[in-house]
Amino acid sequence: MSTLHVLSHSPFSDTRLGSCLRLLGKDDALLLSGDAVYALQQGSVLKSLEEQTVFILEEDLLARHLECPSWATCVDYPAFVELTIRYDKVNSWL
Amino acid sequence: MPKSLLIISRQAPWAGPGAKEALDIVLACGAFDLPVALLFLDDGIFQLLANQNGAAIQQKNLTANLQALSMFGVDDVYACSYSLSERGISPAGLAVADVQSLPVEDVRALIDRYDQVITL
Amino acid sequence: MKFAIALYSAAHAPSSRRALRFAQAALAGGHEIVRLFFYQDGVHSASSNIVTPQDEQDIAQQWAAFVSQHQLDGVVCIAAALRRGVLNEDEAARYQRPGINLQAPWELSGLGQLHDAIQSADRLICFGGP
Repeated sequence: MSTLHVLSHSPFSDTRLGSCLRLLGKDDALLLSGDAVYALQQGSVLKSLEEQTVFILEEDLLARHLECPSWATCVDYPAFVELTIRYDKVNSWL
Repeated sequence: MPKSLLIISRQAPWAGPGAKEALDIVLACGAFDLPVALLFLDDGIFQLLANQNGAAIQQKNLTANLQALSMFGVDDVYACSYSLSERGISPAGLAVADVQSLPVEDVRALIDRYDQVITL
Repeated sequence: MKFAIALYSAAHAPSSRRALRFAQAALAGGHEIVRLFFYQDGVHSASSNIVTPQDEQDIAQQWAAFVSQHQLDGVVCIAAALRRGVLNEDEAARYQRPGINLQAPWELSGLGQLHDAIQSADRLICFGGP
């Protein structure tokens, strides 16, 4: 079964993204929301993301004046809802 | 068929009610006879250590509750071996006897197998 | 699609607003929300005593309006709520506390309601943290 992993903590002050990346299955994807979108900041975290299927909540990207990289997909709320249906389950790293 | 639920507990035991509240979801599930598993990940591993003394900070130990999980219909209790070794903890030294230590690939398979997951 | 939505953060957390926007989009997309379950600090998102500055979003009020408007099943975990001082009229009377900060459309109930929602929904979506 495929899992959509949802993150909202900054990867620079928190270990959730690292743990999540270790446990990511081949059919799984990441949705970055809130401060988790700081993972897109040019830096050490970015490289580990590029090979994954990554979605980004658009409003959080806009709020932080970050750009959506070519290897990721920006989503609004209707698309977020559709993503949770496309994947078999959602694991939010609370 | 009832949906199965995996609770991933990644909070240290003395960081507020989070660890206990994650356990409460598991226990309620067991009480309703629903398929449930509990995985300790990251700092959640610290809940499993022996000889903790919550009384020193006027808190109740969770250890007895964890040891009694099978009595509440919860038999599938796991710990991530990566999280254990990252913290220098040997699986042999855990206070909860029935906890199975799983390598990362098995943790991945575990998450895959359950219908729903709650990570707290 | 049937969704169960669980919220674990207070109304001032960005994740509470995110959960609300998700829930609104789910209904707008023709989906069903079988239950909202507020647990841990999520109980604060149901508080009726939150006063936000006039130029800021009142997410707790928006949650209550959303639940009322769509006649949703809005459940607040009773154990988590008592621990955090979120009390309805009955509980305030039972424990002899001076304030009431939980009212309709919210209902206090136990964790069994979370499990029941998980069983009847196609998807459980949790929101919490920042």
